[in-house]
Amino acid sequence: MGAQDLSLFSLASLLIFLFPILYISRYLKLGINREIIVGITRMVLQLSFVGFYLEFLFKFDSPWLNGVYLLLMISIACHSILKASNLKVRLFFTPLFFSLLIPFALVLLFFNGVVVRIDNLFEAKYLVPIGGMLLGNCLRSIIIGLTNFYSGIKKNEREYLYSLTLFNNRAQALKPWFRESLVAAINPTLASMATIGLVSLPGMMTGQILGGSIPIVAIKYQIAIMACIFYTEFFSVILSILFSLKTGFNKFDVLKTHIFRK
Amino acid sequence: MEESVISFESVSHGVGNTKIFSNLTLCVEKNEKVLILGKSGIGKTSLFRLILGFEQPESGHILVNGLDLIQEQIHQIRQEIFYLSQDIDLMDDIILRLLTIVWEFNFSKELPMEEVNQHLIFLEVSPDILKKRTRELSGGERQRIGLLMGFLLDRPIWLLDEPTSALDDAMKKKIATHILSLDKTMIIISHDHCWQNNSIVRIEGWS
Repeated sequence: MGAQDLSLFSLASLLIFLFPILYISRYLKLGINREIIVGITRMVLQLSFVGFYLEFLFKFDSPWLNGVYLLLMISIACHSILKASNLKVRLFFTPLFFSLLIPFALVLLFFNGVVVRIDNLFEAKYLVPIGGMLLGNCLRSIIIGLTNFYSGIKKNEREYLYSLTLFNNRAQALKPWFRESLVAAINPTLASMATIGLVSLPGMMTGQILGGSIPIVAIKYQIAIMACIFYTEFFSVILSILFSLKTGFNKFDVLKTHIFRK
Repeated sequence: MEESVISFESVSHGVGNTKIFSNLTLCVEKNEKVLILGKSGIGKTSLFRLILGFEQPESGHILVNGLDLIQEQIHQIRQEIFYLSQDIDLMDDIILRLLTIVWEFNFSKELPMEEVNQHLIFLEVSPDILKKRTRELSGGERQRIGLLMGFLLDRPIWLLDEPTSALDDAMKKKIATHILSLDKTMIIISHDHCWQNNSIVRIEGWS
C-alpha cells in the first residue's frame, strides 16, 4: 500500500493558486514576483532531478554508491554553510567536512543499526532520506553557530583580546562566544521539539502516513529522528567551531581578517 | 648592564598603508617607569598591541624579558604582562563573577575577598560595585575595576593606556603616586599631568 500517484496534470493544477498571489504581490508592489517564480521553478527542477537520481540509487542500492552519495551531500552542505556564514570556502571546507561527517556518520549508523535494526546499514531506503533530514537540519544550526561565533568575535575583538591578556588562554577567552553560539544554534530545534505535535505534524510523519504506515509507527520514527537531529546538531556545531579554530586564528591567537568573504 | 625587560630593536610597523613607526628603538629596564607622550593617533596603542603579540612588526625585533616575541614564547610573555586598555574592554558580566573567573583561572584558588575589599577602599568605591554588570559601569568605575584587576593579578609588567582619564584630579594623583611606587616595569600612555610630575618617570616624547 502506498500513496496514490499524482498525475503531472493534477500537479500542474496547483499553479492556479499562484496567479492570484502574483497579482496581489504586484498590486501591493512587494517586488518579489521574480523571486517567487525563480523559487518555484528551482524547487520543481531540483526536486525532479532528485527524483531521478533517487530512483537510480534505489534501483542499484549499492552500499558504495549510497556512501558516495552521502559524502557528496555533506560536501554540498559544507559549501552552502560556509557561503551563508560569510566564511571562505577554500579555507574552512576540510575542517567543516569532518565536523559534519563524524557525528553524522555515528548517529546515522546507530539509527540504522541499533534503532531500526536493518541488516544493510547502507540501505538506500533508510540511509538517503534519514541522512538528508539530519543534514538539512544541521545545515541550519551550523550556519547559526559559525556566523554567531565569528561575527561575534569580529565585532567584539577588543573584548576578546582583553580577555586573552587576562586569562592568557585562547580557549578560556573564547568561552563566552562559544557558549552563545552553541545555544543560538540549537535553540530552534529545542523549541520545535517542545511544540511538535501541538502546532504542526512533522513532514516525515505526514509522508509515512501517506506512504501507508500506521500512525503509531510513524510517531515512533518521528521521535527517533527528532532525537537524532538534535544529537547530530549538537555535536556538529561544537565540532565545527572547534575544528575551525586553527584556520580562524593566527598563531598569536588573533582572529585572522582574511577568513571572511566580502 | 642589567638586561632590559622590554626592548624594541629598530622596529618598523604599519597598518595598511600607513606607517606607524620606523626604526623604533626603545629599552625599558626592570622596574623602570616610562611615560609616552604625544598626540593621539600616532601609534601609542599599537606599541602595546605589538608587545602583546596582537600585531606583528614589519621588521625589527621585540624582546620581553629577553624572549623573542614568537609563537612558542607568546604565552610565557603574556603571563608576565598586565594590560589596561583605554576602554577597559572587559566582557559583559557581573563584576564579582568576572573577578572570580579571572582569579580562579590564573591562580586555581578562591578569590580573596578581604584583599578585594581593601583595594576597593583604596580605589574609593563601594563594594556594591561588585554586583553590577560591566555595561552598567561609568567610565571612572570601569577604570577602577581595571586597576583592581591589575592589583589582583600582580603581574610584573604593566602596560597602561590612559589609566586615569575618567577619574577626578584628587583620585588621579592618589592612583598615580601609588602605582608609580610599585616594583613593576611600566609603560604608561597618558595625557594626565599626575604621571609627569614625578622624578621616577622617564618621559619619552613622541611626535
